[in-house]
Amino acid sequence: MGMLNLVLTNISRKPATRLYPFEIREPFKEFKGSIVFNPENCILCGLCQKKCPPDAITVTKADKTWEINLFRCIMCTECVANCPKDCLSVSNQRTKTGAKETLKVSVPIVDKPKAAKASSK
Amino acid sequence: MTTVIPFGPQHPVLPEPVSLKLEIDNDVVVGALPSLGYVHRGLEKFIDTKDYNQTTYICERICGICSALHGITYTRAVEKLFDVEIPERAQYIRVIVGELNRIHSHLLWLGLFADGFGFESLFYECWKYREGVLDVLERITGNRVIHSISKVGGVTKDLTNEHIDMIEKMLDTVEAQVKNIEKVFVNNYTVKKRCVGLATMSKQLAYEAGTAGPTLRGSGNAIDVRNTPDWDIYKDLGFKTAVEQDGDCYARTKVRITELYESIKLIRNALSKLPNGDIATPIKGFPTGEAIMRTEQPRGEVVYYVKGNGTKNLQRLKVRTPTFANIPSLLLTLPGVKLADVPIVVLTIDPCISCTER
Repeated sequence: MGMLNLVLTNISRKPATRLYPFEIREPFKEFKGSIVFNPENCILCGLCQKKCPPDAITVTKADKTWEINLFRCIMCTECVANCPKDCLSVSNQRTKTGAKETLKVSVPIVDKPKAAKASSK
Repeated sequence: MTTVIPFGPQHPVLPEPVSLKLEIDNDVVVGALPSLGYVHRGLEKFIDTKDYNQTTYICERICGICSALHGITYTRAVEKLFDVEIPERAQYIRVIVGELNRIHSHLLWLGLFADGFGFESLFYECWKYREGVLDVLERITGNRVIHSISKVGGVTKDLTNEHIDMIEKMLDTVEAQVKNIEKVFVNNYTVKKRCVGLATMSKQLAYEAGTAGPTLRGSGNAIDVRNTPDWDIYKDLGFKTAVEQDGDCYARTKVRITELYESIKLIRNALSKLPNGDIATPIKGFPTGEAIMRTEQPRGEVVYYVKGNGTKNLQRLKVRTPTFANIPSLLLTLPGVKLADVPIVVLTIDPCISCTER
């Protein structure tokens, strides 16, 4: 009798799996998918590079660029927690397959604070 | 005349590579010789290049299944070096994530075990239930497998009310589901026929061979780190050690099923007592001195030794994992077992080779 019940429920039940490439589950809003960099407020302090455990981030002051190696990044979000200007944030969209290994962003800025310092002296 | 048959490193029941050279006499094992070292990654040396905060992420990557508990043990060891007391809320969140980790690990093992004796539908059922737990872990911590919940000085993420409701709902579902599979694992004729009386270890032998976790408790030794002053938060949560007396494969399975219920109870108690407050204390300076910390993992007791020398890098990190302690028991119990039963006996210690070799 137990067996018959099991068979009948299993016949009428929906499958537990998804038909993957056609039906994709939305990522949870808390999911750590990728790092988003907003270059506007960046002061090229290099704290993110210093804190990054897998050495994925490279900040070059001379060229004014911020670079992340997406293949090395382990999504620990240490950089997000340590950014003094809140330029970094987490998005729940994961990096697409076939993305380029590195993402290089040029930072627009930073002469303002330096100029202020020079004038105060 | 004996024949030597290699079991592993590649074998359908083994998720990870371990090689056992079995001496066989008329289909019965008379001796076994293990050889390890296929997945050694040198993580204990690798910490030389990272500071003590970054080492947390390396420790979590020692094992994929009990990653949260590796991170928790490491951070607790470093906190012992700094001699700081972390906020109570952080301790409770560590317990909740650690126990959720134990539930998913045990469900994974029950599935693999069912697969070991050829019960495919039970295997799929166990892994289906595990997905629910993994979804909850993904929503709490942001990651599905490597949770990164613990950091030196506290935890990285806080639990919201929405998360708490979700965990409670999930626990109700999982409890019903575990009752469902418990019926099969405990009463099913086939399962009993394969497991009862197989590879029996006496209480004394299990203790002397230095086994850990469910292997030890399945033989009647009520030894669990959660019962000791080393992790005293469990005292407030009403923890009871799961023990079985028989010492065979069936008893070890029953210990794990009892631990599933125990973990569900512990999480419920922790959620009801969850205090308000901070989730981390700031820690300044570099660690000096040495410390030992132990924690109960799904597979048994893990021991971390850390030594700091006043610089940002630790001087030494040593990990002793439960599977390393359990492999000798395998060599003691395998003689006398039929060749066809070897996969089941190997699986009952829940071998995690990545942990063992680091």
